[in-house]
Amino acid sequence: MKRRTWLLSALGATGALVVGWGVLPARSRRGSPALMLQTEGDIALNGWIKIAQDGTVVLAMPRSEMGQGVHTALAMLVAEELDVPLGRVRLEQAGADSIYGNVAMLLGTLPFHPLDSEGEQPSVKIKMGEWIVGKIARELGINATGGSSSIIDLWEPLRMAAATARASLVQAAAASWKVAASEITVTEGVMKHASGKAAHYGAMSAAAAGTTPNPVTPKSRQDWKLIGQPAARTDIPAKVTGQAQFGLDVRLPGMLFAAVRMSPMLGGAASSMDTKAALALPGVDKVVALDAWGGGTAGLAVVAQTTWQARQGAQAVQVQWQAPSTGAVDTTRIQAALLNSLNTESGFTFYEQGVPVQAEKAAASRIDALYHAPYLAHATMEPMNCTAQVKDGRVEIWVPTQVPQMVRAMAAKVAGVKEDQVTVHVTLLGGGFGRRLDVDFVGQAVQVAMACAGAPVQLSWSREEDMTHDFYRPMHLAKFQASLDAQGEVTSLRIKSAGDAISPRWMARAVPLLSGPIDMPDKTTSEGLFDLPYGFVSQHMSHVATQSGVPVGFWRSVGHSHNAFFSESFMDELAVATKQDPLAFRLGLLKEAPRYAAVLQKAADLAGWGKALPAGHAHGIALHQSFGSIVAQVAEVSLSDGHIRVHRVVCVIDCGTVVNPATVAQQMESGVIFGLSAALFGQIDIVGGVVQQSNFPNYPMVTLAQAPVVQTHIMASTRAPGGVGEPAVPPIAPAVANALFTLTGKRQRALPLKA
Amino acid sequence: MQLNINGQSHNSSADANMPLLWVLRDELNLTGTKYGCGVAACGACTVHVDGQAVRSCVVPVSAVAGQQITTIESLGSAEQPHPLQAAWIAEQVPQCGYCQSGMLMAAADLLARKSHPSDAEIDAAMTNLCRCGTYQRVRAAIHRAAASIQHTAMKQGGAA
Repeated sequence: MKRRTWLLSALGATGALVVGWGVLPARSRRGSPALMLQTEGDIALNGWIKIAQDGTVVLAMPRSEMGQGVHTALAMLVAEELDVPLGRVRLEQAGADSIYGNVAMLLGTLPFHPLDSEGEQPSVKIKMGEWIVGKIARELGINATGGSSSIIDLWEPLRMAAATARASLVQAAAASWKVAASEITVTEGVMKHASGKAAHYGAMSAAAAGTTPNPVTPKSRQDWKLIGQPAARTDIPAKVTGQAQFGLDVRLPGMLFAAVRMSPMLGGAASSMDTKAALALPGVDKVVALDAWGGGTAGLAVVAQTTWQARQGAQAVQVQWQAPSTGAVDTTRIQAALLNSLNTESGFTFYEQGVPVQAEKAAASRIDALYHAPYLAHATMEPMNCTAQVKDGRVEIWVPTQVPQMVRAMAAKVAGVKEDQVTVHVTLLGGGFGRRLDVDFVGQAVQVAMACAGAPVQLSWSREEDMTHDFYRPMHLAKFQASLDAQGEVTSLRIKSAGDAISPRWMARAVPLLSGPIDMPDKTTSEGLFDLPYGFVSQHMSHVATQSGVPVGFWRSVGHSHNAFFSESFMDELAVATKQDPLAFRLGLLKEAPRYAAVLQKAADLAGWGKALPAGHAHGIALHQSFGSIVAQVAEVSLSDGHIRVHRVVCVIDCGTVVNPATVAQQMESGVIFGLSAALFGQIDIVGGVVQQSNFPNYPMVTLAQAPVVQTHIMASTRAPGGVGEPAVPPIAPAVANALFTLTGKRQRALPLKA
Repeated sequence: MQLNINGQSHNSSADANMPLLWVLRDELNLTGTKYGCGVAACGACTVHVDGQAVRSCVVPVSAVAGQQITTIESLGSAEQPHPLQAAWIAEQVPQCGYCQSGMLMAAADLLARKSHPSDAEIDAAMTNLCRCGTYQRVRAAIHRAAASIQHTAMKQGGAA
């Protein structure tokens, strides 16, 4: 066979397979009842819903609660469709089946311009892309909590699963009562018929099991009783009495405690270790040399009767550390190298509009600016930890994680067992912010547990280990170049940025199977730069992806977190240069983006934009879209005694249909404070491979006394839901920076901001 | 040594230098009190010793032997919440919730000293860190609890 013929037939066969698979309907996410935990008395109706004997609805919960209120909001969707009070929904951790995978999070990685999906119907390009990636995502079924995607992803599948369960139950009652299903009403989980017959779901669940109801549709919007109404979070009562169980609160009979000490140099390892002094300490049981797992750093763990004794032991081990073979990383050097890459490499073009080169040639004047953002640590309040037990060829894990399947895969790999021999219990998370999308500490815990003869071990990191061994938000630089015509109109905007791509590094350590030999362009590098809503006639955006050697990870709002600072600060620079009000300048460029204009205008109105403020105070404004939601913020800022003071932030969000407005308000407040800590203080420096910031005194957080009052307004919308966990983070840094410019006349182009 | 925790006496053989936090968490399984920084910078470990808020991660257990130690576990219960816990629920304060035990214990100490704290007094007393940014609700909840305690006191005063 000629090579050409062979190639063609191979391609043809693959093509036929792909097309064949492609025309099959996308994998259903309703799931079989067998996927649910089999518990005495409970009857499963599909892969999401069980009915307990007393009529309680049990919901399979694949997503992690890390403060974003998702356990309440997802339960609301089910309570709505089943017509039960929220308090009658009980959560049970979902298993590992692909129906629980997060399709929306993968769709969010597609680098489409958001304005292409503003209309009633998304463009054909977007439909095609989402169709194929959606199908692949359903097959992969990667269960992850991240990318502000929980509601976006489960909005349809959960309502469908609950509506179908409801229809089965009503049908069972109708058959039992010999009446028409349409004559049965449901109130608070009780089915009733005019004849006087009544039963709660528990009484009909056995009859409903295994039946297939006629095709159902979820309730229409006007029939909603719960969705859109503020609901008290179901996780809060346990969080005010100290009863809520985080990873570090797991207590098991005979449990030991392990403290970790990793090479201070990122990627380094121990070259020699003397454990005598450590083993002589009271309570210390053993010292375990730790390999580098999941992209983390190698080191040692000390096992003892208490965490404190283990930590004393870890400090007492005499260690010689050696730098990684790739050399020690250094942020000063990385910054210089980034600038060089930015100036010499062309990068990948994420967006082009009009003919920028032509506009640039014809320009009467130009505005150039170079922006910078540093590395950042996540600093979740609960440091990294994992409890593991390895016994009789089985592994049991208790862990605060955003990726339970990856925990399972890591545990299986370390223990050398099959994945189905691993049980993962997901606890509450004392913050996630993207740090818990990595499973380095899980590998450590299993390695230690394997040395502990079947005893459960709680492995935990000190704050210092946590801050100095993070997967950091990567440093980024961005160069802006605006061309203006003789009338002072901006005719073209060129943006080029440089920094490490996160997704390929994460794929390589978390899902090596999906990781290719070369890095694909990573949307997270350029989100917030290529996807601006402003109608510049000509525009070009490219990114140079680097590999600094620093472990980089997803940090709440990811690329948006720094790119919004760059782009929205530069928008203010353009407004100033063209002698326009920053609000009016933006509105002038939002004629094709009415939703964006409305959000911005609302924030300006609520803040009293343009009205007099107390002496020494100034407003700054910023608008940014991320994770399917549009947020505008107006910050009122002053400078006093060498400190930046943010008094008040008006935050307006359009996140489409809202499930729990109370949670949305919480997340807006949360995002503003999180982003403000980074804007005012956040900076990680690495010298000779060693992270210099190690605890809150040298990596400060905004405190209560420094916290602004955040006033949230949610735009009414009937569009599909957008995300809320992250979108409030990006706009706060530029809003504050823009206010500082008004106060001082000095433009700050680097984070953190200086007084 | 003898430890008096939440009204109960415990005989502890812990190392005298072990911080109170770890005795509570790892020896007595009172896990409501959290570890956050180990250097008294974040307040997640706040408990009361003889009625005063202390950061238990830097207090050697031997220093509090024989004193009255109160942790979040005895501030109130789901059935009988402390006014601050009720206010925390009413204002929907917690998000991830990890820092909230410490926040509540710090707030309880503040209210014990100042029945009606001003915003400036709240600023000065509440130096606990919260990464989720629940601060404005913490402030609102303290004001709410202060008002409810005063209201209850007035009602009781009126009935007497």
